[in-house]
Formats: sequence, C-alpha cells, structure tokens
Amino acid sequence: MSPENLVYALTQVVHNLGAVAVAGGAAFALWPLQRPEYARTFAWLLLGAWAAQIVSGGVFGLTSLYYYGELPDLSGIAMAALALKVLAALFGLLLAAVYLLRGRAWPLPHVKYTFQGLTALGAVALTAAAFLRWFS
Amino acid sequence: MRFKHFFSAFGLGLLLAVPATTLGQGRVSITAPPDGATLDALDENRLVYEVDPGPRGDHVHVYIDNREVGILRKLKGSYLLETPSTGKHTLCVRVVNKAHVPVGIEQCVQVTVK
Repeated sequence: MSPENLVYALTQVVHNLGAVAVAGGAAFALWPLQRPEYARTFAWLLLGAWAAQIVSGGVFGLTSLYYYGELPDLSGIAMAALALKVLAALFGLLLAAVYLLRGRAWPLPHVKYTFQGLTALGAVALTAAAFLRWFS
Repeated sequence: MRFKHFFSAFGLGLLLAVPATTLGQGRVSITAPPDGATLDALDENRLVYEVDPGPRGDHVHVYIDNREVGILRKLKGSYLLETPSTGKHTLCVRVVNKAHVPVGIEQCVQVTVK
C-alpha cells in the first residue's frame, strides 16, 4: 500500500464527511421542518464542518508537497473552481461564526436567511468540487 | 514498551521510505512530433504519445511552454495541438497522480512552428 495514497484517502474521508455536513446539515436545519431550537447546534456542526473542509483541503496540498515537492497542476477552469470553493468555505465559516457570536437575538427570518445562505454556500462548494475534480 | 516504540518508529519510517523506491518507474514516450521537428502552423498537428504511468501515476497532462493545455485519461493516443503560434515551443507530457500532482515522469520535445 502506497503511503501517500493512504494519507490522501484519510484526508478525503474528512473532506467528504465535511462536505456532507456543510450541505446536508444546513439543508436539514431548514427542511422538511425548521428547527429553530436546534439552530445553534446546527451552526456549531457547520462551523466544524467548514473548518474541516478548509483544513483537509490544505492537507491535500501539504501531502502533495511532502511526497512530490509540488502542488497539483490545475487548469484555468480547475483553478477558478478551487478559488470559488475556498471562497465558499471562508464565507461559510464566517457566516456560521457570526451567527454563533451574534445570532441569539436574531429574529427567526434572519436565522432562516443564515441557514439558506449556508445551504447555498454548501451547494456552491460541492459544485465547484466537481469541476475541480474533472477539469484538473 | 521501548520495543513497541522502536517498531512503531521503524514501521512508520519504512512506510514513508517506500515511495522513494518506486520513484522513476513508469515512462512517457512522445512518438510524434519528433524532437526538433518543424511544424506547419496550417497543418493539423497532433501529439502522439504512449504512457506507462507506473505505480504512482494515474493520468497525464499536456503542456505547451510549461502551460497546461490538456488532460489525457487514455494512456495511449493523440492530442490535437491547437494552432500554436510561430516560433519555438516545448511540448511536454507529464504523468500526474489522482490529485493531479506530477509524479516526476515526463517527456518533452522541442518543435519549431512555421
């Protein structure tokens, strides 16, 4: 078994679970029933999941640097997809953090907008990931 | 207990050292255009290649003057070179892994487009 493949695979496990949580967690907080009483719990989940996405994304790069001394060779489309994914992750992390810091007193519609935004960011990140995967 | 530490460290070292022994396996062969060829800009110029990706490679990227222009998932075939500008160019085929990182197996040819 090739060790770099093991490292890539374990990193991919974290990345995949993070992807499930950022998209599914945000959507589940809204649908099929809104669950305002659990909003903060979901926000913590999403904060952790976005952080896991960012860290595991960085570990992919570090693994390549460690084993090959190079970062992945990305085409223009893949680079744009990566930039979009990174932006979605940063905004997702920020939005979840702002909600956790300031959201206790927010009216219900604002909480709903927050989770709608988080769902949209999750969808953007997953869509960008597909382009990153196949246009590299 | 010390033995356990020794074997853990030894095992980890072995695991990390293994890829170094597999470096360099695999091969890229560009059969056309030949190195030093002169290409006519008005012709349909194809880069013909054959790749053995080795244990660490997955697919290949094509480069013109160090700029990635194509992703090839077939290990043997050809790639249409989009009308390169006149002058000297370097065409390269590099094997990359699943994460799109070059694994150190490549071949390059120099061509002149007129």
